[in-house]
Amino acid sequence: MLEIRKVTKRYGSQTALDHISLSVAEGAYVSLLGPSGSGKSTLLRVLAGFEAPDEGQVKLDGRSLTTVPAHERGIGFVSQGFALFPHLSVFDNVGFGLRYNARKPLRDGVELRRKVLETLEMVGLAPYAQRQIQQLSGGQRQRVALARTLVVRPRLCLLDEPLGALDANLRQRMTVELRRIHAALGITFFHVTGNEMEALAMGDRVVVLDAGHILQVDAPDIVYNKPNSIAVARFLNRYNLFSGRTDSRGGIATAAGTIAAPQSTGPGQVSDFMDFCIRIDKIRVMPEAEAVSASQAALSATYITSEFSGAIITHLFRLADGRVAEVENHLSHRRPAEYVMGQRYSLVWPREDGIVFPVSPGAAEAAIRRAA
Amino acid sequence: MSTATQDRAMAPAGKTGAPRSLARQQTAGRWMLLAPGVIWMMLCLVLPMLMMIYVSFWTQTTFSINSTLTLDNWAAFFSTPTYLDSLLTTVELWFVTLALIFVIGYPVAVYIGLFVRDKTVQTSLLVLCVVPFWTSFLIRVLAWRPMLGTDGAVNIILLKLGLIHQPIEALLFTQYSVVIGMVQIYVVFMVGPVAFMVSRIDRSLIEAARDLGAGTARIFFTIILPLSMPGIVVGSIFVSVMVLGEFATPSALSGDKVNLLGNIIVTQVGSLKWAFASVCGVILTVLMAITVVGLLRIVNLRREI
Repeated sequence: MLEIRKVTKRYGSQTALDHISLSVAEGAYVSLLGPSGSGKSTLLRVLAGFEAPDEGQVKLDGRSLTTVPAHERGIGFVSQGFALFPHLSVFDNVGFGLRYNARKPLRDGVELRRKVLETLEMVGLAPYAQRQIQQLSGGQRQRVALARTLVVRPRLCLLDEPLGALDANLRQRMTVELRRIHAALGITFFHVTGNEMEALAMGDRVVVLDAGHILQVDAPDIVYNKPNSIAVARFLNRYNLFSGRTDSRGGIATAAGTIAAPQSTGPGQVSDFMDFCIRIDKIRVMPEAEAVSASQAALSATYITSEFSGAIITHLFRLADGRVAEVENHLSHRRPAEYVMGQRYSLVWPREDGIVFPVSPGAAEAAIRRAA
Repeated sequence: MSTATQDRAMAPAGKTGAPRSLARQQTAGRWMLLAPGVIWMMLCLVLPMLMMIYVSFWTQTTFSINSTLTLDNWAAFFSTPTYLDSLLTTVELWFVTLALIFVIGYPVAVYIGLFVRDKTVQTSLLVLCVVPFWTSFLIRVLAWRPMLGTDGAVNIILLKLGLIHQPIEALLFTQYSVVIGMVQIYVVFMVGPVAFMVSRIDRSLIEAARDLGAGTARIFFTIILPLSMPGIVVGSIFVSVMVLGEFATPSALSGDKVNLLGNIIVTQVGSLKWAFASVCGVILTVLMAITVVGLLRIVNLRREI
């Protein structure tokens, strides 16, 4: 059990982590999602012991790690650039942590060999044991780095953007590999990423970080379907975002037009500031003239173009306020529709699928000031 | 090479006087680029060296030299204790100087390359190491005399501190003063290359080693030392070549008591004994060549830099 309690880390006047608290159960796969500069790498470095927090503490199984140096923590860290030792072979890289552990170095050569080869087997690199690091491809280096960390069986394995340096094809394969290795070892994994799809695919739990704060901690499907703030919805890259003021008939007046808000949420007082979002695959495109029922919300928009990507087609529409809205269709469901460029259509979705976030008065005022 | 063959194969058969193929033009261009360097090296390095080997077999009499080939000079060198002693002294002082330079220079280089994070400060510190070079070489050597003499600065300070009760006379005009002088002059040639190599070590490697449970000493011996090896080798080559060729420092700081091979050459040339000077020159060159080749065998510089 890992507990992070009110951890704060500042660099000069910049606050990288602002009172972060989080507890992670044994054996979990946690993905940490956030844009660059959100503090996610800093959090990993604090956990690994490379940086000391200015406030707060980290506890592993109830024991505070504050005074424990990095090399005695038993926390594995796979850094973004892999940090493999360029002058050592694959075997010696993987064996490093066993052979040179300050506490209990493994002197038995046979045992060392068995453990290293077993771990290399697990990541599918056993035939490469005698290779030099320079002779490996990016994906192989990634797996050597993983093997080097896992061979010492850390309590916790921290992965800093482990798939960032790989091409799309390899990334897909490593995703499966990582999950398999996690299941086989039962070690707690902490996976930092800036890619929302990766975060959702990998984690049992997704932690969304922004500007040093935790925004949401939930299961991936909850984060995806019910983001708890407009910022989370923005990171997910799957929502069309709006902001406006509530009107007297249960709608939200935005620059793109008035949107019918979900009845269940019930807008607060008239002319309260609201953020609103609707997922791009919940929207249907209708001819503009068609009538819309009371349970539906609609917005008029001009068709721009479509992006085709295999099973999915994304249509782009220009809204009244000049911004672009996305509509995603899964081609297996219906025949791709043909729209006329420059023609106006109606974007329609079930009212209840929209998500409304009340904007705090402070943020609203700031927005007004910025607009003025 | 394969492109050249292809070009020839593709050229229409039987057509003479066709413009030169692109590949051949490129080859010619490459030679043109190399030519100035090759000519320079031939005239100033290879030719003089061949001359030196040749002259070392000439017949030397007291007042003249003629080109009759003989082994006498070589026999004289290896049968005269003075010259063999000088060779031994050269090798001995070279080892001691190199070892001291490593012991003093390496920690400084690791400090500059690894612990100074600010690039500007790093550069400033390296420039600081080069500041003594703003003075002429001879001044730098001679400046050691008032430092090391019986009434010199070092003795005065040690006496004032009460560490010694009589001035140490062995400091000047001995082997020690020669070693001190050479270490001070050449240590920077070790600091530079090592600091460069150490500063290129990715800090994440050190973090990774620490994360894997390695202690500080272990990290030094398994990561930092092997990765700085090319710097050590380059620095050692610089220092070795310069120390082996030294004659000014020993002559100025030992009062002509310490004679390195370089000093023998200077003396022989001064008395116009060209053939004998050539023998010493060849021996010195071979010694340097063995050193450089031996050092280069330790690391593959082409791969590391």
